[in-house]
Amino acid sequence: MNALFSALGRFMIGVAAIVGAMGLLFGRIVSRIVRLDLDGEGTLSNLYKMGVKSLPVVVITALFTGGIMVVQAAPTVERFGAYSLLGWGAGFGTLREVGPLLTALMISGRVGANNTAELGTMVVTEQFDAMRALAIDPISFLIAPRFVGIVVTLFLSTIFADVLALVGAAYAGLPLLGVDPGVFYDGVTGGLLGIGDVIHGLVKSVLFGIVMALSSCQFGMSTEGGAPGVGRAVNSTVVVTATGIFVLDYLVSFAI
Amino acid sequence: MIHLDGITKTFDRSVLFGVDLDVPSGSLYGLVGPGGAGKSVVLKIVAGLVPADGGSVVVGGSDLSTLDPLALARYRLGIGMVFQNNALFDFMTVAENIAFPLRRSSSLDDAEIGRRVEERLERVGLAGFGPRKPAGLSGGQKKRVGVARATVTRAPIVLYDEPAAGLDPVTSQRIFDLLREEQLAAKSTVIMVSSDVDRLLTVTDKVGMMHDGRVVFEGSTEQATRSDDPMVRQFLSGKTDGPL
Amino acid sequence: MTGAGNPRPSIDEALGLAPGPSAAAMGQLKALTDSVKELAALFRQTLYYTFRGPSKSAVLDELYEIGNRSAVFLCVTMGFMGMIFVYQAGVQIRRVIPDLSALGSTFLELLVRDLAASISALMLATRVGAGIAAEIGSMVVTEQVDALRMCAADPVDYLVVPRFIASVVMTTVLTFIAGSVAFATGAWTAQTFFGINPRTFVDTSLVDGGDLVVGLAKCLAYGAAIPIISAHAGLTTRGGSAGVGSAATRAVVNSSLAVIMLDFVISTLGYIFF
Repeated sequence: MNALFSALGRFMIGVAAIVGAMGLLFGRIVSRIVRLDLDGEGTLSNLYKMGVKSLPVVVITALFTGGIMVVQAAPTVERFGAYSLLGWGAGFGTLREVGPLLTALMISGRVGANNTAELGTMVVTEQFDAMRALAIDPISFLIAPRFVGIVVTLFLSTIFADVLALVGAAYAGLPLLGVDPGVFYDGVTGGLLGIGDVIHGLVKSVLFGIVMALSSCQFGMSTEGGAPGVGRAVNSTVVVTATGIFVLDYLVSFAI
Repeated sequence: MIHLDGITKTFDRSVLFGVDLDVPSGSLYGLVGPGGAGKSVVLKIVAGLVPADGGSVVVGGSDLSTLDPLALARYRLGIGMVFQNNALFDFMTVAENIAFPLRRSSSLDDAEIGRRVEERLERVGLAGFGPRKPAGLSGGQKKRVGVARATVTRAPIVLYDEPAAGLDPVTSQRIFDLLREEQLAAKSTVIMVSSDVDRLLTVTDKVGMMHDGRVVFEGSTEQATRSDDPMVRQFLSGKTDGPL
Repeated sequence: MTGAGNPRPSIDEALGLAPGPSAAAMGQLKALTDSVKELAALFRQTLYYTFRGPSKSAVLDELYEIGNRSAVFLCVTMGFMGMIFVYQAGVQIRRVIPDLSALGSTFLELLVRDLAASISALMLATRVGAGIAAEIGSMVVTEQVDALRMCAADPVDYLVVPRFIASVVMTTVLTFIAGSVAFATGAWTAQTFFGINPRTFVDTSLVDGGDLVVGLAKCLAYGAAIPIISAHAGLTTRGGSAGVGSAATRAVVNSSLAVIMLDFVISTLGYIFF
């Protein structure tokens, strides 16, 4: 019994340590952004790199997800004969949940893991130390641009994914359920969904982006142990990001 | 015994441009040369880990390019190799590391395998280290475990890639002496790559020097130290001006 | 063997046109088909060695590694998922019809048919995929894989097969456990926020054999895809610690994409046949 409690205790302390570290990092990043003390070129190049490289993943995921939602909803729709409501169902699912959530999970892999790997490699090859020795502030030079890049990328990708998922769903609705895309469109814009649903999803995407950026930078910077250490850091990032995303999703869903 | 003829190899760029090498049976052959000359690649080609793009590799009478994957795997069992970074299996103990090739290649029973592992550990001066994990060992100790693992099958050919890299001078010489004793006792054929040329030459029978993907000199140790070739002279004396 | 030589000409070059974007696209396409071929080959090899008889202790180690280490993470995320789903669905459906009595049965059907397996698999793709790629990638970079080949041990037999078996088994087991957790938290949410009696919520009437088959098929497919893709990423690592990081990233991205695509395919087949 003792072993269980001590394991639980260690786990909670570990969680607290991670959350605390991320909070501190967030504070340091924000203080620099507010003072506009970040590397402009770095920010732009990160935005480009992360955004463009994520495009194929987002496109494929969004289209397929739209299709999956229709397939899953199909039996229920047929059962109740609610064909005109397909647009509404897919709409609220996408805008409020599936869009932000799935986009975040996929980008966590593409961008978050990658970011951790890059930072981790830099730590392991002592580049961070070299930077400090040259009196360059690693946070404003390296970390803050990546933070901005990740949050903005996730925000824009979510918007993009929302649209694509709905398109995918609309065109899956036709062969599977015989629902004309026009009817689908009416279901989406019909009045059951509002701008509140859109904002709900976008707020989530920004929060997911913050969690992803903080965790990937945090684990990247605290890598130790050579090549296997980098692998472990990447692992930790994706786990913490995913957990954080779900927890935030829950909190936001119930809050607004 | 080992005969390379006109070997070429390209990865993203060309690495070997026609390598000719001849290793007599039962000799210790030192392969030296500046960094990036292609020495490790040559070793991996002889080990059958990397296929040559052109030329022929004949070992003990068989041409490696004629062997199918299964035959190649069997061929590799007849070769022991010590890698630059030791490549010890970090998920096994020292004893299991050394026993591993024996388990794969032969049908010896556990007792016999245990005996051979102990014998090897004694030989390399690590008696009693069996149950330890590689992570906790020093550089020199890891190297010695690597040597034990490479020689436990009593393979007729052993390849050493930088056996003394990163070790202090005393440990380095001890390793070289150990490898030479092993080679003479087992009458094996050995190719040794090392940048520690002075120490290497104290144990070699024959020397080959590579530069930019080609063998520029080949001869006995005597001939190497007395050579007039400007590249060889420069490399062996470590001076900075010269053709290299 | 061909020498350092002549890469196959692109369509543009063959037609005598200046190489342009379509050359790059052809290159990408070729790289993609090569990868798919390599993955198929790895899958075949893995199956072959699996049926030849794997090392029991290695499989047990991996079962622990994958199962125990992911269980908490999975239950936490799926638990939240259950709450979120029921809450969101409830709020929305209430806008249309006030009667939420079908919420539990519909949720359960969706869980069994899709959500339990797919969301669990996405989580596992990140946790397990990155783990496998990083482990194998580190071994490639430290030459341990070469050392294995020198001892006539096939890295596929030794490294991939135990992880493959463990993944297929554990994905199914964990999906079941995590799905139950999600349903439980969903039931709690339904009662707390909508006042739905648990007995009404726990309604298995909509779940039929077809749903179980589809869900199980997904577990097996995801459980097979994740380790193969991740092991492939690990085995093709190049270049030190940067390479290991890149392998882990590729594993996560490609495994996740594979889960999504398999989800779509199996869901559609399930819909057509059941």
